[in-house]
Amino acid sequence: MSVAEFVVRLPHARDHRSAARWILSHVTDHPRIVLTTFVGAFGNATLAAAVPVLLGQAFNLVLQGGEIQAGLGRIALTIILTQVVRGVLQLGRNFGSDLLGQRLERDIRQELYASLLGKSMTFHNLQPVGDTMARATNDVREIGLMFNPGFNLVIGSANFMLLPLIVAPSYHPSLLLVPALFTISYAFAVWAYLRELRPVSEEVRRTFGEMNTQVSEALDGIEVVKGHAQEAQEVERFSINASAFRDAFVRQGDIEARYLPLLLLGLAEAGSFLHAILLFRQGSLDLGGLIAFMGLIQLLGFPTFVSLFAYSQVSLGMAGARRILDLILRETQLDQNPTGHSGPMRGELEFREVGFSYGEGKVALSGLTFKVRPGQTLAIVGQTGSGKTSLAKLINRIHDVSTGQVLVDGIDVRDWNLASLREQISIIEQDVFLFSRSIAQNIAFGQPSAPEAAIQLAAGQAQAHEFIRGFQEGYGSIVGERGVTLSGGQRQRVALARAFLTDPRVLILDDSTSSIDSATEDEIQRAIFQASQGRTTVIITHRLSQIRWADLILVLRDGRMAALGTHEELMDRSPAYRRIFQRLAD
Amino acid sequence: MSFFRDLEREDYDRTYRDRDLVVRLAGYFRPERRRVLIAALATGLIAAGEAASPIMVSQGVGLLEQDPAAPQAAWIAAALFLVGGLVWSVNWIRRRMLTRAVGAVMLDLRTEAFAATAAHDLAFYDEHASGKVVSRITSDTNEFAQVAVLVTDVASEVLQVAILILVLLRLEWSLTLWVLGMIPVFLVVALGFRRLARHAIRRSMRGIANVNASIKEAVTGITVAKNFRQERAIYTEFDQVNRQSYAANVRRGFVLSVVFPTLNAMMGFGTALMVFLGGLSAGRGAVAVGAWYLFMRSLDRFWFPILSLSAFWSQIQGGLSAAERVFALIDTESQVRQTGQLKIPRLQGRIHFDQVDFRYHPKEPVLEGFSLSIEPGESLALVGHTGAGKTSIVKLITRFYEFQSGQVLVDGLDLRSLDLHDFRRQIGLVSQNPFLFAGTVTDNIRYARPHVSDQEIDALARRIGSGEWLETLPQGLLTKVGERGGRLSMGQRQLVSLMRVLVQRPAIFILDEATANIDPFTESQIQEALQLILAETTSILIAHRLSTVRACDRIVVLRQGRVIEQGDHDRLIAQGGHYAELYNTYFRHQSLAYIQQARLAAAAS
Repeated sequence: MSVAEFVVRLPHARDHRSAARWILSHVTDHPRIVLTTFVGAFGNATLAAAVPVLLGQAFNLVLQGGEIQAGLGRIALTIILTQVVRGVLQLGRNFGSDLLGQRLERDIRQELYASLLGKSMTFHNLQPVGDTMARATNDVREIGLMFNPGFNLVIGSANFMLLPLIVAPSYHPSLLLVPALFTISYAFAVWAYLRELRPVSEEVRRTFGEMNTQVSEALDGIEVVKGHAQEAQEVERFSINASAFRDAFVRQGDIEARYLPLLLLGLAEAGSFLHAILLFRQGSLDLGGLIAFMGLIQLLGFPTFVSLFAYSQVSLGMAGARRILDLILRETQLDQNPTGHSGPMRGELEFREVGFSYGEGKVALSGLTFKVRPGQTLAIVGQTGSGKTSLAKLINRIHDVSTGQVLVDGIDVRDWNLASLREQISIIEQDVFLFSRSIAQNIAFGQPSAPEAAIQLAAGQAQAHEFIRGFQEGYGSIVGERGVTLSGGQRQRVALARAFLTDPRVLILDDSTSSIDSATEDEIQRAIFQASQGRTTVIITHRLSQIRWADLILVLRDGRMAALGTHEELMDRSPAYRRIFQRLAD
Repeated sequence: MSFFRDLEREDYDRTYRDRDLVVRLAGYFRPERRRVLIAALATGLIAAGEAASPIMVSQGVGLLEQDPAAPQAAWIAAALFLVGGLVWSVNWIRRRMLTRAVGAVMLDLRTEAFAATAAHDLAFYDEHASGKVVSRITSDTNEFAQVAVLVTDVASEVLQVAILILVLLRLEWSLTLWVLGMIPVFLVVALGFRRLARHAIRRSMRGIANVNASIKEAVTGITVAKNFRQERAIYTEFDQVNRQSYAANVRRGFVLSVVFPTLNAMMGFGTALMVFLGGLSAGRGAVAVGAWYLFMRSLDRFWFPILSLSAFWSQIQGGLSAAERVFALIDTESQVRQTGQLKIPRLQGRIHFDQVDFRYHPKEPVLEGFSLSIEPGESLALVGHTGAGKTSIVKLITRFYEFQSGQVLVDGLDLRSLDLHDFRRQIGLVSQNPFLFAGTVTDNIRYARPHVSDQEIDALARRIGSGEWLETLPQGLLTKVGERGGRLSMGQRQLVSLMRVLVQRPAIFILDEATANIDPFTESQIQEALQLILAETTSILIAHRLSTVRACDRIVVLRQGRVIEQGDHDRLIAQGGHYAELYNTYFRHQSLAYIQQARLAAAAS
């Protein structure tokens, strides 16, 4: 018997010890692109540095005097040539880093999704979809941006700072001084700047978020606001939030205004001129060399102006990587029990002194004891938070009990083979999820090879055949934004049809909805009736018509059994239950 | 890189004239004019300083060429230090002034926009999705601020270029002409690239939206897939979409990667040209070596400003569009207008509609010649198909909408003549999807009367079904309800809203009943709360529950904006008219008879 949870085998092993190592293990899949990027970056900077060098030569040529046309022409052509080649190399750097980013996005998404598929149903039950979505879309995107423009510009600036350090000494060794001083003080200034900026940027983001939330809330609830004549108070509240934002904004602006590297650049230019003059007077440097050196210093402008947001992009990307890795590494693995009991299920359910709580939180269920015979219908009723949904999830082991036992056919569910257990139990959730594909494909989801006749039969039993035929494309209609929109009741019936096809022994139905019109209600009644024939049905419901006719009714209150019995028994014993039906009896 | 900004912007139809917008915006800057002036001066100084740098160096080079020992060269170096420090300090001042000025303007604009929006009547909210409105108040004002900063940056750069060009013209005009000729070429190419980039980005954004939708479905559907053991199938689908998106993004990436290399290569041409022509000129002695150096340096200095300029126009347009959206918000006129501000004592709750005509849009009349009288303390159930006019009646009473003709009288007074705030305080309204503010249950219950004590609220809560419903709240009355009350169920939100009304003790109570998803116990409790309210107020209920209909004194049956039947339940059923039909469609399945027959009926098909 196969293991219950699904596994995708991906081609490369990954280092999950830390986010940085993990990203690196992805990067090393593409050595040629990495090489192209680095070569492109270095080549770009080198050829950019070629221009001031060539300019220096041109100056010397002109100062010499004489027949300069040919020489100038040669230099001009060289400049054109080098800059065109430089363009190609820069393309290599830009596109290389972009491609790397895109590949990582693609591969990481794949790794994340495969990992999610392999996780247990317990995990998916606890993990909010919105959070997963945010990581799969936003955080992955941040990783892509980390490479381009992030690393792209960081590597680019690094090279532009490197070149003056390499080339300047070729004119005179001491010329290393000014670029070296600049580089050191620049690194320090950027580090200090980012450190100072980070909490303030956070503050800006936070105050903006608060302002947004308050406005959103006030406008969504504008009827209530106006209904209670509270407009002035809301404006007051807004004013406070908006002022807080303004204050954070100004603080951020003040820090940005002080951006030191700007000063450093100006000082570097002045310093380089001074240094060059001194050397020129000594005779160690000619005018062309002076001009070339000044030009090299100008290369430092690129890192000064562009690299700020590149650094924050890198740190944002790493934060995203951490979040994704965290998700991949998380696990709640239930014991698969491959050697456990497997075989046809009769459908007898029993709860013995069952207690359950989610982690260390509040106790969700306690002291549940009841027995449902095969083919019977159990209706579970209770207010919000009474534990109805938690109860249902214990039956097919989405969660395991904390105390007591859940038995199917007299065997503890933990002793069942998980796959065999789940194959014969079907759950229909309150918010039915349908894929954006045809209705027929949705119905046949559990049995993709089912013939059309079987699909239509299942749909008929679920009272869905009529309305499906009413659509223009019938069973071929695509569900969702690009096709037909189904009402809640219609989705429920499609889900029932889906369950019919797989013919489970136990059906768990979360039917916490009510119909708006009586005609739909009739259909749902029939569908549920059909569904419960010949199988043990556990139905969480608000419909009095379902409760009234269930074989067994369980009233939950605050996680405990408040009442258990048939309708007649409960009318007799439970005043709260009686009140519900008495309300209608006028 | 500002070059790539604002490419994803959607086209926005403009109705306000640019000039009017600018003038109006300038008005907001008036209180900040001292700061703006300082910033402007600073901008000029920076431009001068930035231009001075290369000019001084070129002077220095010229001096050194003639006399290597010239002491002035050292003075120039000292001056460069000074200018460097000065430019940085003045820039510091400029940024500080600007940030404060812009921050203050943003605050004013925003507050005005929000206040105006809160004052708009409900017709406005029907037409505008609240998300877009929020974004106008918070994000569009932000955008406008960024553009304001941008304007000074670009102004500084352009000024610098202008100064340099003037100096160059004086030095050697024919070379300058070459430089001037290169600028438009460069600009045109940059603009062309922006258009190319815009296309590429738009296409890839569609692709990204597709991938995200697909991921969302793949993630949401994992549980179902696992339920039916179809993991392999959805994995294959996901993989496909993932690869498609990758391909589209790579294409976009290539287009964007080509831009700067091309521009750099073009710069190379320009520089080569300057070297050749300038060098020849210098060789001839037509231009000094120092001046030639300045030409070379200037080319470098023009590059960045030209790039900024190519993006400038559309960024300005973007900023003006943002400003327009904000002003449009402020300028929207209210349709609901009061003719007076009459203060009113506690109302009795007599309501009279007299030949009222009402329509949301000119072509779709909702109420025509509508008349209805409601006695104080009476409870009325409004029933009818969707679009019959039930909600409109209620919205007219609360003055959320304006009616076109006829009269509405409250206690004999013309509704239009009353002070709206006073009047609304005497109405308790619970809508179909009850809205709660983030905070505790108690906070919400006392929203309309902040001074009610905790004990009073507690006592009231326990009157409903012996306070059983409090058990369903994790921290009882102190439970936090979350945004929009999202942590509570629909039934719980209804109960809290009804509590709010009970505390408010209004003269008139209006309820638009929720239709769905409430368990029988909570429903019982809601009925109890309703009974309490009905006993004390004039009540108008848009009823969807049978028990509510039967609890009211009078049922009013509406069809196409007119009252066609009135009376109590048994009599109307006996009449066999429109009410009987409505009952059969909407209420039949809620009756005891139906429930008792349910099993037989289901088995019989």
